[in-house]
This record gives sequence, C-alpha cells and structure tokens, in this order.
Amino acid sequence: MIELKHVSRLYRSDEIETTALHDISLTIRRGEFVAIMGPSGCGKSTLLNTLGTIDRPTSGQYLFDGTDLAQLPETGLAKHRAKHLGFIFQSFNLVDDLTIYENIELGLLYREGRKGSRRQAIESAMDRVGIAHRARHFPHQLSGGQQQRAAIARAIVGEPDLILADEPTGNLDTENGAQVMDILRGLNAAGATIIMVTHSPSHADQATRRIDILDGQLVASVAQVL
Amino acid sequence: MGRSTFTAFYRSFTRHPLYALLNLLGLSFGIAVFIALSLLYRFETGYESWSSARQDTYAIGGQYFFPGMPNDVFIGSMGGLLDEMKIAYPHLEGTRDWGNAVTVHKGAEVYGEQIELVDGNFLSFFNIPLRHGDAKTALASPDSVVISEEKARKYFGTVDVLGRAITLSDEEGRKNYVVSAVMRDLPKNTDMKLDFMRLLTKQRMSEEANWHKWGSIQLVTYFKFADPAQAAALQKQFPAFIDRQVGDRFGDDIKGSKIMALHLVPLADAHLIDPKQKAAIVSLGLVGVVALVLALINYVNLATARAGLRAREVAVRKTLGAQPGALRLQFLGEAALTLLLAFLIGLSLVELSLPVINAVGGLNLKLDYVSEGAWVAGVLAVVMAAGLVAALYPAFALSAFKPAQVLASSRTPAGGRAGVRLREVLVIMQFATVVVAFVLMLGFMRQIDHMQKADLGFTREGLLIVNSTRYTAISEAQREAYVAAVRALPNVKRASIGNAIPGDQSSTSNSNIVRPGQTDSATGSPTVNWSVVGPDYFQLLGTKLVAGRLFNARYGGDQMWRTDAESREEGRVTNVIISRLTVKRMDYASPQAAIGQIARFANRQVRIVGVVEDMRFYHPTDAIQAKLYLFDAKPNNNPVAFVRYEGVSEPQMRAQLQQVWRRIAPDVPFEGVSATANLDKYYKPERDRSNLFSIGAGIAALIGCIGLYGMAAFNTSRRVREIGLRKVLGASRGKVVGLLIGQFLRPVVVASLLAIPLAWLALRHWLSQFDDAIAISPWFFVGAVAGALLIALGTVGGLALVSASVEPGKALRHE
Repeated sequence: MIELKHVSRLYRSDEIETTALHDISLTIRRGEFVAIMGPSGCGKSTLLNTLGTIDRPTSGQYLFDGTDLAQLPETGLAKHRAKHLGFIFQSFNLVDDLTIYENIELGLLYREGRKGSRRQAIESAMDRVGIAHRARHFPHQLSGGQQQRAAIARAIVGEPDLILADEPTGNLDTENGAQVMDILRGLNAAGATIIMVTHSPSHADQATRRIDILDGQLVASVAQVL
Repeated sequence: MGRSTFTAFYRSFTRHPLYALLNLLGLSFGIAVFIALSLLYRFETGYESWSSARQDTYAIGGQYFFPGMPNDVFIGSMGGLLDEMKIAYPHLEGTRDWGNAVTVHKGAEVYGEQIELVDGNFLSFFNIPLRHGDAKTALASPDSVVISEEKARKYFGTVDVLGRAITLSDEEGRKNYVVSAVMRDLPKNTDMKLDFMRLLTKQRMSEEANWHKWGSIQLVTYFKFADPAQAAALQKQFPAFIDRQVGDRFGDDIKGSKIMALHLVPLADAHLIDPKQKAAIVSLGLVGVVALVLALINYVNLATARAGLRAREVAVRKTLGAQPGALRLQFLGEAALTLLLAFLIGLSLVELSLPVINAVGGLNLKLDYVSEGAWVAGVLAVVMAAGLVAALYPAFALSAFKPAQVLASSRTPAGGRAGVRLREVLVIMQFATVVVAFVLMLGFMRQIDHMQKADLGFTREGLLIVNSTRYTAISEAQREAYVAAVRALPNVKRASIGNAIPGDQSSTSNSNIVRPGQTDSATGSPTVNWSVVGPDYFQLLGTKLVAGRLFNARYGGDQMWRTDAESREEGRVTNVIISRLTVKRMDYASPQAAIGQIARFANRQVRIVGVVEDMRFYHPTDAIQAKLYLFDAKPNNNPVAFVRYEGVSEPQMRAQLQQVWRRIAPDVPFEGVSATANLDKYYKPERDRSNLFSIGAGIAALIGCIGLYGMAAFNTSRRVREIGLRKVLGASRGKVVGLLIGQFLRPVVVASLLAIPLAWLALRHWLSQFDDAIAISPWFFVGAVAGALLIALGTVGGLALVSASVEPGKALRHE
C-alpha cells in the first residue's frame, strides 16, 4: 500500500540545516497497524506528516498504491488526503466554533464523488466511538477523552484507506487512553490500516508492527504477535 | 456559498460576539456615512434630473472681464440674446425663463410670489410634467397662467383648477389670468422655481429698455443640442458673434469679447457652476469614500488579527483535504455576508438619522426604494465590490497557512512580523485620517464663527430690510410716506432707502472710473460696483467715515441725476462717496488725497466728497468690491427700505413695520428680512457643510476607535501569558498598564505626526477660498492630537487595566 524509498526531509533556515528524516525506506501493507516510536525530536511526527502529505520529502519517493505522491501538485495532495486519509491528533484539533456533528462532517466535506447519506455516515461514525449523545455540543463542552473520540469519528467517517494517529493518547488519562486504543484496535480488526506515533510502549505493543526511529533514521521494524 | 460559510458567519456572532460586533459596527458606520454622503452627492449633482431634456440642454453662462472684479461664470444672459442668436443661427432650438416678482391677490389678502415669464415652447422644451392641461397650448394665450400643484393648493385648496381665474399684479399691472395647466411639483433639487408661468410676450420684450443691452443680465436662456459636438462648435463661434453683435457699444476699439464671454453650460453642471461649491460637494463625497475606506481598513485589520485564531481551523480543514481555493471562497463568502448585513444596518442607520442629517445639513435627502432602487443597488454593488477587494487579503493570508507548522505549534500564529506591521500601518492610517478630520473640523468651526461675528464694516444687528418698497406698484409718494411713518415708530432710530443692500446683489451695477489724464478704457481703468443710497444711509448702517464727509441733501451737488440727459449736462459734476478700496484702485496716495478730486464715472463727471470704510455685503469667499455711492434724496430705482431699531425684538419690530405697510400699501405684500438673515444665506451652506463634515469626522473617529480597540483586544488576548510572566517577575499592575497603554497609543502618536502637515495643507487650501480668512492656529493641531489621544486612551485604557489585573497564575495557564 505504502512504499517510502530513500525519503529524506531537511529543514533549512538562514544559518541552520536540520535533518528531520534521513534516507528512510519503508513498506506498509494494507491492514497493518503500525506503531512508530522514538524519543522526542527524533522525526516521528515529521514521518507521520510526510505519510499524511502535509509535509513533503526533500528527496526520495513516496508511493501510495503505486502512485508517486511526491510528484503531485498541492491540489492533488489535498484530493488524496480527502479520499484516502484520516487524521487523529494528540491535541484533537477540533474546530472550536463547530459542533461535534459539524466537526465530524468536516471529514466528508472535501471528499469528492462520495455516495450515500452524509447524515447516516456521521451518525454511524459517532455510534462507533460512542459520542452520538454529544452531537450538538461544542468541543469545549466535552472532556478530553470525548473530544478525542469525536476526532476519531471525524477520521473514520469517510472510511479512509489509512488512518494516521499522532500520539492519540498523549493528552488523555489512562482510562481514556485505553478506550481510544480499544477503538483503534477495533478499527484495525475491521480492516483499517493505521499508523500511530506514540511514546507509550504499552500502546505500541497493541500494534501489529513497531518501527523505531532515532535521529531521523529508521533503526528497527519489528512485527509483533498480539 | 456553502453551508460552512453560513455556519461560520453565524458562529462568529454566537461564539465571538465582541469581535463580530466591533467588525459589524465599524463597517455599518462607515457604510452609513458612505450612503448618506453618496445621497448628498447624488442630490447635489442631480439637479434638473426631473427633465428628460436635461442631457441635451445647455444654459447660457456669462462671464465678465473687468479689472479688479470677479470673473466667475454665472448662469444668466440679457433678455434679447435668444432673438439675436436665432437670427445668426436660425436652426437653434432655445427658450427663456425670466423670473419676476408677482403679487397674488386672494380676497383682501396679498402674497408675494415669483412668476416665470417664459417662451411659448418652454413646457415642451423641458417636457415639464403636467397634471392637468396641454403643454402645447397652455402658454398660447397671454392671459393664461400655468401654476404648480403646491400653489394651486395654496390659493385654491385643490389641484383641479383648470380654467379658474387668479388675480396677479406685476410690471404689467393687475389682471385676471386663467389657469391653463397645473404642473406637477418638481423635486427639491431644482434651481428652476416654476410656481407660476405665463407667456413672455413680444410687447413685454419691447417695453424692456435693457432687452438688447449687451452686458446686462435679466434671465436664463436655454438651448438644446442633439449632439454635444454641436454645442462645442457653437461655443467656438461665440467670441466672433459677441464682437459682431456688440460692435462699438463697449467703447471705441474695444472688442466685445475682451469684456465678456458666453458659455454653453450643460444643464447638468449648471447648479454647481461655482467651482468652490462644486469642490465643497466633491469634498463631502470624498469624506464618504474615506469613511468607507476606514471601515474596510478596520475589517481587514480585525480579520487578519483574527486569522491567527482561525489558523488551526484552516490547518485542520487543509489536512482533511480542503483546497486553498475552496477556503478562500469560504472566507470571501463570510465577508460577503458580513458586508451585506453591515449594509442593511448602515441603510437603517441612514434612514433613522436622515431627519437629523437634513436638519443639521440644511438638506432634503430621502431614500426612495421604489423609484431609486437601481441607485440603492448600485451603492450596494460598490460597497460589496470594495469590501470583497479588501477581504481578499485576509482570505489569502488565511488560506496560506501551512498545516504541518500550525498543528506542530502550541501557539496560534499572528500572521508574522509582516502581518503585525501591516495592522499597525492600517491603524496609523486610520488615526492620521481622524487627526486630519479633527484639525479641519476645528478650522471650519473657527472660520464659520469668524464669518458670523467678523466686523463687516457695518452693524448687522438691529437692522431690518423691507424689500416691499421695490415693487413697481409702489409709488414714490408711498415709499416716502412709508419711510416717514416708520421713522415715527418709537423703537426706530433711523430709516432710509437705497439699493446698496447687505446680502443682496440684485440691484447693483459695475462701471469704470477714470482719473483725469488716465486712458478712458473699459479694460484699463478700475471698475467699481455702484449703488444709489438715500439720506442717512451710512449713519443708519453704522459705516465708518474715513475721510471727507457723508452725503447731505443740503448740498445740491450731492443729488445724482434723475435722467440720462440731466447727467450729461454741460458742467455738471455729481458728488460721490467711494470706499477705501476704490481709493487704492484709483491710485490715490490716501483717502484724504482723494477728497475733492474729479473723475469720470460711467462717462459722467463726479467729485469725490467722502471715503467710507469697506463693507462686506456678500459671500465670505467673494473679495470685497471697490464701491462708489451716488446720493438720491428720493431714490426711485427699486430701492429697499432700511430700518435701524433698538429696544424691541426682531419679530416685534417686523410686525410693527408690517402694520405700517398694510396701512400705506395694502395691495402689495410685506417682505421684511433682517440683515443677519439676509447674510446668513451666504454662511448657511458653509455652516451646513461644516456640520456634515463634523458628523463624518466624528464617525470616522468612532470607526478608528473601534479598530484600535479591536487591535488592542486582540494583542492583549495574545499577551496574557506574557503579562502573567511580567507580574511573576515583579512588575506592578501600574507598570503593566503603562506598558500596554504606551504600546497601544504608539500608532496614534505616529499618526498624529503624519497628520499634522497634511491637515495644515488641507486647511490652508480650504481657507484660501475666503477673502477674510482666519489664521491657522497651532491650537487646532494641539486640540486635534489631544482629542485623538484622549479618545484612544479612553478606548484602550479600560482594556489595559483589566488585562493587567489578571492573576499571574491564571495568566500563565492561559492558552
């Protein structure tokens, strides 16, 4: 499904050049649940952003189902994200001025050619994460765990091919974190491909594969038996 | 415009009411000023729009070139110009309108009105809307009169008055006329006072001595051209035409075109033919544009400031696949909704404030959505277009946020240094405009106050002018009897007659005056404006004698000629009084040196017996005229009566004068006006415009304050954590307040520095039109800057105080 070939990402300012990713080659198959681990500043989020096409590699190839995304223009990448990807963030990133229902609807708003009832899809996504009773509330009226479940609903409402989760439990307490992990595992069991950045070894253990990053380089990729 | 746009627009009010209200109020006020002043501009530039002939019609404008006299173009011509032009250019289509005083008799009551003597084609020429009657035949008979609906109601109580008789007295005597048509009332923006109209007959023309006197002005002549090029072609032939027609009437070897010019003035431009008036209206129109620009600056400012708060939303939307173009459309859609709502509020504000605007501006503006729907739609289109252009910047700035950077940052972006700079520059621009407006406002008020209180060379208070003595129906004996009766009234100090009238130029003339030895040339010698005055005139006005003596009936030489033949008698020298300016124009070393000197005035021998102080009788922008006064113990050239009174109020005095008038001339209406009211017609337009300008400036200041408050509120909300940190490090509340206020007021200080030279230039330019202008005082600038600073301080002071009072622990946890 995903193939990174010798991907590097450099950040340049007037005086400093920082290598966030260095020559990363990686293959992820459909249906995998991949956990990316590593210390702070090692390049995990950059790798996730690159996979999510909100950051572009400085060099190398990024093939998604055989298409080289590095060659796509900005508009093509936007379409790709709308059609194939779902995002979950550590700080939820719900839009403050929209209700939970409307926030989840955002996951469908920019997706072209989708068929079926939008309302049904949103309600189904809310049911799957157990947030339906909060549809008319605004994000600040919800607990952190509820906000993250709403964010997960937004990520899955369009039934994307790939869910990218950047420390989805980072801002949550143990109980809420466990609930989020249950949902992610359930989604994976139902066929979703998930790539998750995490600091938590116990959460990483719940993935089918674990990738370790250090100083922008891939140091280990280990399949895990659950 | 999608649902997201409506949702975001709606939520901005429910979730961020302060920001949304500031934004909306600023825009609404700016749009309201823009609409109101557009309405005024349209009113002033839309004179005679009621006539379908407006586009093709030209009024004849005259212009004189006399040394030392104004040479502005004015609307008017001699009576016989049309006849002479039709001989030279038979294809021309023209008509005339000659306004005359008329007395309307209704039972025993008499009313003063104005009647238009017009050519037979007048109604069809202008396509004058008639309620009753036929335009082709209404003016066919000299015994017919066309009357307006308003006057029909006044004199008959109904507009269905076709065929009814009305009794009128004018130069042709008292006569019954038959109403042959009733014309619909014209809108207020017309210079054509068409209340009564009757046929200008050939006989009446032949009776008028000055009908073909080149240089005289009696009436307004109009021409119609299908193509402006035809008008331009005729205009080119005017100088040769004038030379031909004038011949040697202006003097040997003096070409007519050296003394005067004719202009074809498009009817659409006739109302604002005075460049100063036009400039004033254009300036007010510009104030409207500036108010709109200030409001849009506010919008851009607040929208870009708030962009930072929406950055995360943009990043999320982009991450979820939104195209930048779609986001820009959404933001522009939100702007369009805001503008539309602001336009509706602005329109409502205008509707609510029109009575006030009309009162303080001396106007008659109204919004008519049925007949003027297209205009309202046009203003809306301009506002929307300008607003959307302004909204492009925040829309592009917002849609350009990079999602990865925004999502990685814990802080909301503020648009970078460039964005902060831009917002500061915009606030500086706003306040610079406010300071300029304040300086101008102070300057205008001071100048208008000066005009109303300045020494005009005579005492304007306690002076009444009775115009009724001008009616031709009044005999010399009646005039004398009236003045004598008025003198006997207990509160009257003096009474006199004459035609040198403060605030009325209608019966003065210009002629040249030549010292012995000078060339007797109309263009080479000084021109003086002359008037005839009766006994006691200068004493009554309170005019200061500079040298020599005043007129006295006991001196036989003071009495002016009564007939032309008398004036040219061998050896006749008539005594005259001149003004101080005439002394200068005639090149005498001093007023004293002029006394006893002989000169040729209008080809008659005169002796200067007195010099009086200059008097300012006319518009404050007009230069004082060099004057010459002739004395007539019994003036009979349509003089008015002057009454100096004391110890009684003006209305009471007027009532007494009216009572005496009714006793002596019951068939002629009484018209009495105070000198202050007569002069006020010159000051009123300036005062009205100054009032309107002050309202505009006040609202501009309000918009500026809204912008400043919005900026300050945004900046403090971003700096709560910094403020907390400063307090943790030991800063007192006072210090933090001082720091914040200093920063908030910085753009106001910079704006003031920028505004002062601009305001000085603008005020100097405005004052330059006045002949008697005030000096520009530094206090105008001090006052304006202090005002702007105080307003700004009031705006942000409370905010700074509240922000500085937040507990440090709470502030540090602020996101």
